[in-house]
Amino acid sequence: MSEDEKKRVGVLQAIKEFVYGVAAHDSARFALKTRASMEHLFILITMGDMLGVPILPPYYSLRLLPYVVPQISTWKRRMLREKDLTDALA
Amino acid sequence: MNSIYGIILGLVVAFIGYRFYARYIDTKIIKCDPKKATPAKMYMDGVEFMPTSKNILFGYQFKSIAGAGPIIGPIIAIQWGWLPALVWILLGTLFIGWVQDYSSAMMAMRKDGASFGGLSYKLISPRARVILLAFIYFYLLLMAGAFGNVVTSTAVNLKSSPAAWLFLTIAGVLAGQMIYRWRKDIILTTVVTVVIAMFGIWLGTIAPSDKVVGESLANNRLLWAIAAFVFCYFAAVLPIWRFALPINYVASYIVFLGLFFGIIGIFVLRPDFTLPAFTDFSIPIGPLWPIMFVTIACGAISGWHSIVSSSGTARQLESEVDARPVCGGVMFVEMMLAIFALIIAGTIYASPAEYGAAIAKGPGGIFAAGVSKFLGALGLPLDLGRSYGSVIMIIVAITLMQLVIRFMRVATSELLGDISPIFKNAHIATFIASILGLLLVMTGWWQYLWVLFGGANQLMASLALMMVTLWLMSEGKKAFWTFYPMIFMFVTTIAALVYTSYGLLKKVVTGAVKGEALVGSTVMGLVGFFLVIAAIILAVEGAKAFIRYRALRAQPAAAGSN
Repeated sequence: MSEDEKKRVGVLQAIKEFVYGVAAHDSARFALKTRASMEHLFILITMGDMLGVPILPPYYSLRLLPYVVPQISTWKRRMLREKDLTDALA
Repeated sequence: MNSIYGIILGLVVAFIGYRFYARYIDTKIIKCDPKKATPAKMYMDGVEFMPTSKNILFGYQFKSIAGAGPIIGPIIAIQWGWLPALVWILLGTLFIGWVQDYSSAMMAMRKDGASFGGLSYKLISPRARVILLAFIYFYLLLMAGAFGNVVTSTAVNLKSSPAAWLFLTIAGVLAGQMIYRWRKDIILTTVVTVVIAMFGIWLGTIAPSDKVVGESLANNRLLWAIAAFVFCYFAAVLPIWRFALPINYVASYIVFLGLFFGIIGIFVLRPDFTLPAFTDFSIPIGPLWPIMFVTIACGAISGWHSIVSSSGTARQLESEVDARPVCGGVMFVEMMLAIFALIIAGTIYASPAEYGAAIAKGPGGIFAAGVSKFLGALGLPLDLGRSYGSVIMIIVAITLMQLVIRFMRVATSELLGDISPIFKNAHIATFIASILGLLLVMTGWWQYLWVLFGGANQLMASLALMMVTLWLMSEGKKAFWTFYPMIFMFVTTIAALVYTSYGLLKKVVTGAVKGEALVGSTVMGLVGFFLVIAAIILAVEGAKAFIRYRALRAQPAAAGSN
């Protein structure tokens, strides 16, 4: 691809991203927020014993563990982060 | 003067501001580091903290800050003449507006992505956080009232707008259903729903509200005010994907296309300013200083931007160097939008008397007439253009209103939930926020309401600049570029709020207002004074922190001299 073509593709990509930012980025963020709250509940139910809430028998928790492991680090960040009312403004 | 010169001046200011001043601050004072990990990378949680491309964030920031503010402010402020309004838009953005947006994002980024509540707690004092939250609540209430008034007056005065608004709502709800429930293709969804919304705009021209619901209902302010708050009620209590977001999604295309082609229309027509460059220092809403400086808020500087920059954008910037184009750059684009609104108001009426008759009915009619004229230059029929302009005005006002009511719902449950569990109920909390907003819409004169909202908005900006100044001092960086704008904004906004609130309460005490106006003037006057007192307490807390940081800075020097 020549330099001119690269530039043209770059500009088109930038316009595409800008339109996405105006129209849909917020929707995507809120969809992620909704999914995250569901995930919080799911992990709490399945891995509650990690926090001292033995809801499911550990046998089932252990069977689910491989599926939950990829989420645990981001889950912990979300749960343990100091939150403030003004976070809800944007 | 030809309006094209206004646009050229705007482009020159944007170039100088962005290329030289913003670059100097970014590289020499803030010393942004492209290698430094941002909160989006450090605390990546896949939801709020997520590295995002600067182009996407540019669009996100623009959509979040460019509401009704930059459009309505200049349309009202042209009453002092277009020259002072233009000068304030240009200089306000150059020395204060972008500074606030950019520095709020940088501060939040360097402080681990904390939002204003947490930042005021850390940088000023625990008490400052509580006062700031109360301040924000009443500031948002004024915002809901001011924007609710715009929606109501537009629906009453432009009879084509209710049909367009209704069809936009239907299109939005359908978009939510198609995307999230039926899992339809996004392009198909977009085409179908935008076409439905456009159909509503056309339908408004052949089925205006007075023909559909009758003259008396079409002119009933209470009906449209209730409709606006019922709309916001749904946006606040329904899942966000079902109502608020998909409506915003469809609306963004309508607004974006309208503004884009409207600006092209200005270049095609190249109209001259027909209203005077300067009218008088003092006009019925107040003197040029301080009132004009709060009337034009978002086009020059707005506290809302600092909230978006700190709570939203700062958590998504993938590199520190992106803060200048995203937060600073978008502010310059918003300045151009304000100039566009100023050109509309200043060029479409042949005389000040014509403009005076139009502004008495609210800014919606002026904006719609301007959009109609400039889209007409590209071949769109005038009545269709007017309908298009009216729905843009409703969209830009109501999309922010619904966000505000949603936040007020959360804030009501958080602040009053400990007093009684009833406030934790989403419906009760939304109802309280909606009723307070409705009260302001129905009882307050819209120009005073706008000035009070502008004052609160600018005061929020000066508080943001105060926090940035304290942060810069705590980091041992030069703070002159935020300190002087903060002082100017603080003095100006306090003066504007005291002037307006005093005027309103004086009318109440002397019995100059009766009935609804008595309630409106009392509520607006009291809210204005509450905001002034809260801001003064915050300033005192800020001054204490200022002395603390200065003493801390002096310590190493003193130790070094011993």
